[in-house]
Amino acid sequence: MKSILRFTSLRFASKYFAILKTQLLNTLIYPADLAARSVSILIFVWVFINLWSVTYRAMGQDQIGGMSLRETIWYLMLAEAIVLSKPRLAQNISAAVKDGSIAYLLNKPYNFLLYQISIGIGESITRLPFNLIAGGALVWMAMGPPPDLGAFPLVLIAIALGWIIDFLIAALIGLTAFMTEEIAAFEWIYAKFLLLLGGLLIPLDFFPAWLKQIAQALPFAYTIYGPARLFVHPSVEYFIALSVGQLFWLISLGIGVALWYRKGTAWLTINGG
Amino acid sequence: MMKKEITFLLHLWRANLIAAMEFRVAFLSQVIGMMLNNALYFLFWIIFFDRFQNVRGWGLNEMFILFGIVAVGYGAGVFLFGNVMQLADVIATGKLDYYLSLPRPVLLHVLASRSLSSGLGDFTYGILSLLVAGVASPDAIARIILGAIFSMIVFLAFMTLINSLGFWMGNATMLAFQAGNAMLTFALYPITLFDGTGKFILFTIIPAAFMGAVPAELIRAFDWFTLAQLFFAALVLLALALFVFRRGLRRYESGSAIQIQS
Repeated sequence: MKSILRFTSLRFASKYFAILKTQLLNTLIYPADLAARSVSILIFVWVFINLWSVTYRAMGQDQIGGMSLRETIWYLMLAEAIVLSKPRLAQNISAAVKDGSIAYLLNKPYNFLLYQISIGIGESITRLPFNLIAGGALVWMAMGPPPDLGAFPLVLIAIALGWIIDFLIAALIGLTAFMTEEIAAFEWIYAKFLLLLGGLLIPLDFFPAWLKQIAQALPFAYTIYGPARLFVHPSVEYFIALSVGQLFWLISLGIGVALWYRKGTAWLTINGG
Repeated sequence: MMKKEITFLLHLWRANLIAAMEFRVAFLSQVIGMMLNNALYFLFWIIFFDRFQNVRGWGLNEMFILFGIVAVGYGAGVFLFGNVMQLADVIATGKLDYYLSLPRPVLLHVLASRSLSSGLGDFTYGILSLLVAGVASPDAIARIILGAIFSMIVFLAFMTLINSLGFWMGNATMLAFQAGNAMLTFALYPITLFDGTGKFILFTIIPAAFMGAVPAELIRAFDWFTLAQLFFAALVLLALALFVFRRGLRRYESGSAIQIQS
């Protein structure tokens, strides 16, 4: 019985791994497109270098919120790389609902949401190195070398878990299209939560204590702030605490998405065909 | 001739508005959603200036004015001429055929054929931001109108210019996306953050200073030199955009995609 279970769960996992791999290869076919997309990170990083250099100088301090200027810029570069590497999953789901193609996707021998998440991870994995190289090169030239890279494998694990949290929230937003059809406004607002409470524009350490506490209790901080902070201040203790928090949000959001999905598919009406 | 074109433009805008009103909930969700989106973004500056007070002469009030004028200029631009964000795609996919087959000014017709509802949200938010900054006197309103018109022209001209490169490149969609992204990002940051090369770029290659910082300066304190600077920059960019689009149009070819607009 046990071996049958192991066999079916392995087949289950290998199916989604194959989808992930296909998407990864699909994206890699267009390296010029990947490189062109990396221009965005150069723009943002350049603005951040100017903004925070002037701010640190104006404050006359070496450290703000326990972070030096160099650490802040490396933090912001990684935060941008995490966000710019992920696809707009909510939009893909909503598009499938709006144009009716979901009717063809739902009866395929895979779970629609796991399919979308596998595609999302496949795409993100290919985009991340390009963004890291472009952004990292600029920061290195302007600010000096990155913090200790020994813990980078742990950072990659934290980034991957953070992406899955983000995809689950994006799925919640995308599935809202079952009821509202138009989800652009929800997507914008979520993006702004990431920008602010996720620590994309400013490290949460620069917030007033009360706001930092609130932001750290929300899932947004586990997608960006957590991995980026681990990158500049690596420690096993922080990695463990971060992973526990990420797993908590993965499970909670996973349950939420499953329930929302069941309700949404019951609601679904397709016109024509 | 001019009157005929203005009437045509008014008819296009009316048709866009009627089309948007067909989906009233979606329209309102985009307008209100964008206002909320901008408000959430601006929280960053509130937190930033609460902690750091003043950065090279810029405080929260200056940011309200800058954000306000960029939002008004950009919002009006994409609400009235929404296709400016998709012009490269229109060129690449041969959709210009439809516009070329009609006896109307091609560029004007393409740009005004689409309206982004979210632009109205940006526009309204921008006005609110300027009101919060305390610029509400009659002469300040005149300066806001002037600044917003120039900000809009600079944005539209720059985007038309970049998108028109698609006539030579084949597909300039990604370039246009990145250029638009850069223009908006830089326009929303205080100009005093940038020195030397940075400032040079923002006044020339990516003229974001003429979309944000210079109109904001005009609103803060009227000065003939600032107005002349803005006027000259808008005029040059507009002339350049029209020139490049017209030259590009001569090179345009497609596999005949004339079809009825749905």
